[in-house]
Amino acid sequence: MDNVIISIFLLAGSFFILIASIGLIRLKDLYSRLHAATKAPSFGIFLMLIGVSIFFNTPMVYIKSLFVIFFIYLTAPLAAHAIIKSFQEKDKDDSEKKITEL
Amino acid sequence: MKIIKRIYYTLEFIGFYLFNLVKANVYIAWDILTPKIHMKPAFMEIPVRLETDFGLLLFSNLLSMTPGTISMDISEDKKIVRVHVLYYKTDEIMLNEFYKMQEKIKRITS
Amino acid sequence: MEYNISIVVLIITFSFLLAALVLAFVRLLRGPSVNDRIAAMDVIAVIVMAFILTYSIMVNKAIYLDLPVIISLISFIGTVAVSTYLKHRYG
Repeated sequence: MDNVIISIFLLAGSFFILIASIGLIRLKDLYSRLHAATKAPSFGIFLMLIGVSIFFNTPMVYIKSLFVIFFIYLTAPLAAHAIIKSFQEKDKDDSEKKITEL
Repeated sequence: MKIIKRIYYTLEFIGFYLFNLVKANVYIAWDILTPKIHMKPAFMEIPVRLETDFGLLLFSNLLSMTPGTISMDISEDKKIVRVHVLYYKTDEIMLNEFYKMQEKIKRITS
Repeated sequence: MEYNISIVVLIITFSFLLAALVLAFVRLLRGPSVNDRIAAMDVIAVIVMAFILTYSIMVNKAIYLDLPVIISLISFIGTVAVSTYLKHRYG
């Protein structure tokens, strides 16, 4: 029974990571791509870590998994924020250049 | 008594966060796997009614993890958050949702 | 307690992750702007972490779980460093 639960967690986690990559290819602009690249991988690694914790079932593994989950959920929005901020500077620069060239 | 209430609200907030997390990922998966992409991207500006910095951190984190929004920028005086929205309806519906989230956060941090 | 995960499940997981790695790599090579490449690198770090988790289940050794902790720390610092550098160069 527990084998089935662990297998489901593993498959669902890798499936969400695969979805993030497909979204990275399919979506049109950077902002939509970041939607796929922020939410889906962190959720996928969350599910996989739950599966791994059930598999090993020792306190040290629980602590490490909690640390990874906490850190990823704290930093994924910050990384997206940093990427968008740098892109906005470039966007502004490009539009100004176009105006001056015309 | 106050502490018990705050613990209850914190637990409720964690449940709310997890529910939104699953919902956001199901939305993204549905949109990417079906052939037709029905997205309607837009930029929005949300007024912030929170006092503490920790509340602002929670709010922007929740925005980035809930369906179809990513927090982009915060104004200098910490009063306005700029947001990129993926599923845009009307201003009123979206703003009502955001105010509801802010009420939930205010109950924890104030 | 010992669990035995069937090898078929592990192979399917590995193939999902491999497909994800290939697609993210395509975006890394093709990306129109540098920012797309940074986002692709972020996803690739997560995929590598998932590979290590699956491998630790396959060989049944918990010691491999130290690696995802370190990768999650380093990939965030790398992303923020490159973004800040780009911002200062454009701005």
